[in-house]
Amino acid sequence: MLATPVVLPGPIAVLRSLWELAISTRGVRHLVASILHVCVAVAVSFLIGGLLALAAHYMRVVRFAVHNRLGPFLNSFSGIGWMLLALMWFGVGGVSVIFAISAVLVPFALVNTAAGLAALDETMTEMGRSFTRNRWRQFLLVTLPSLYPFVFATLRIMFGVAWKVTLTAELFAGDEGLGYVINLSRQEYDTSAIFAVIIVIIAFVYSTDRFILAPLQTRFERQYA
Amino acid sequence: MGEALVLFALLGWWLLARRLPEFVLPAPMAVAARLTDLFVDTGFLGHTIASVWRVVASVILAVLIGGVLAAVAWRWPLLQGIVHERIKPFLNSFPSIGWAILAAIWFPPEDFAVVFVQVLILTPFCLINISEGLRAIDGEMVEMARSFTRATFRRIRLVGLPLLAPYLMSAVRISYGIGWKIALVSEVLGAPSGLGYVMVRAQTSADMPTFLAVCLAIVIFYIAGERIVIVPLERRLRVSFAGART
Repeated sequence: MLATPVVLPGPIAVLRSLWELAISTRGVRHLVASILHVCVAVAVSFLIGGLLALAAHYMRVVRFAVHNRLGPFLNSFSGIGWMLLALMWFGVGGVSVIFAISAVLVPFALVNTAAGLAALDETMTEMGRSFTRNRWRQFLLVTLPSLYPFVFATLRIMFGVAWKVTLTAELFAGDEGLGYVINLSRQEYDTSAIFAVIIVIIAFVYSTDRFILAPLQTRFERQYA
Repeated sequence: MGEALVLFALLGWWLLARRLPEFVLPAPMAVAARLTDLFVDTGFLGHTIASVWRVVASVILAVLIGGVLAAVAWRWPLLQGIVHERIKPFLNSFPSIGWAILAAIWFPPEDFAVVFVQVLILTPFCLINISEGLRAIDGEMVEMARSFTRATFRRIRLVGLPLLAPYLMSAVRISYGIGWKIALVSEVLGAPSGLGYVMVRAQTSADMPTFLAVCLAIVIFYIAGERIVIVPLERRLRVSFAGART
């Protein structure tokens, strides 16, 4: 071949690495670790971003602060910056990884949830107010369900983005997960393993989005939009 | 209230920094000093400029490539499957760090590698935005343009581009934002110059002020770029071509 196996491994070498990754406990363990990091980070950042968006939506006094100061700042703080900061503050490990991923995802959650809140149907809110004066009931039974499609769309986007960030975070600051596997393979110049992990990621993210999240979203939209 | 938040944050930073060691959280003054260095000191300025021009070049290239792909899929529906169901999902889900690592293996660590990585990460976003714009073009407009002249370039220049302007600006804006976020990813893994290199050097020598200064410099470029270049451009184009966007 024109290129050495280190630069561009042949498809057979990559398949072999893929196989090794699949059957070894190491492969499964790291995949599970990565999934865990992604889920926890998505949950944490969705909570924080969502709360910020809700606060900005209901309390006009903080709206500018959240959307025009905090939001752009968090949005432009580079992911690697967060990762190396986490590394310096928390050392290598799951905490650093989750911290870094969450920090990168919070602006996404904030902007998307705010968009959902802004698109709330005013007539629905009025209807809710006509039914009961209890604001909690209004929120739980009218506002929240009409947010479900947006919440789901947000989570779906965050899930996709989280994976990319997770790989980078695990590479720099993790001691388990697929990013960590890529780091090891990179140090051993095992390019076919790198290809294999990338293929696993692409396949996993694409199929989850296409076969699980997309149908769920159409179901949500049919019911709540 | 917004400014109060910023003041509050700075105050909190200053107070915290007094109680924590230098390498965990340096004082705001030290970071500010370093931040000015990045723009003033000739040693650092070279790195700053290198990073800036790489981001700008990547945004332009990504918009061009994404635009061409979107246009090709729009003009020749046969190719739509290839572009939208194979190329787009592939580029979209390919992890950014994957490109960075592969570029580090394939290319010598210089400008080309960095721009390569950034362009590949940004292209799917541009592709998606511009194809949205193409899809929103009224068929009647296209017919009208075709009735005026047979010269394709004139049609593109006088009808197509203005109609696409909002979507192009959106693509540019998104790419610029993401470009700065990933600028470091591509530089950290091997470029011998640029802010990423400065950052890694600062991290390995536990030089927290420089490290934080680099992070803040990027925030500044992002916000400055948006406010000074992109938003005014968007506003001007939107006024000229109102009606293109519903």
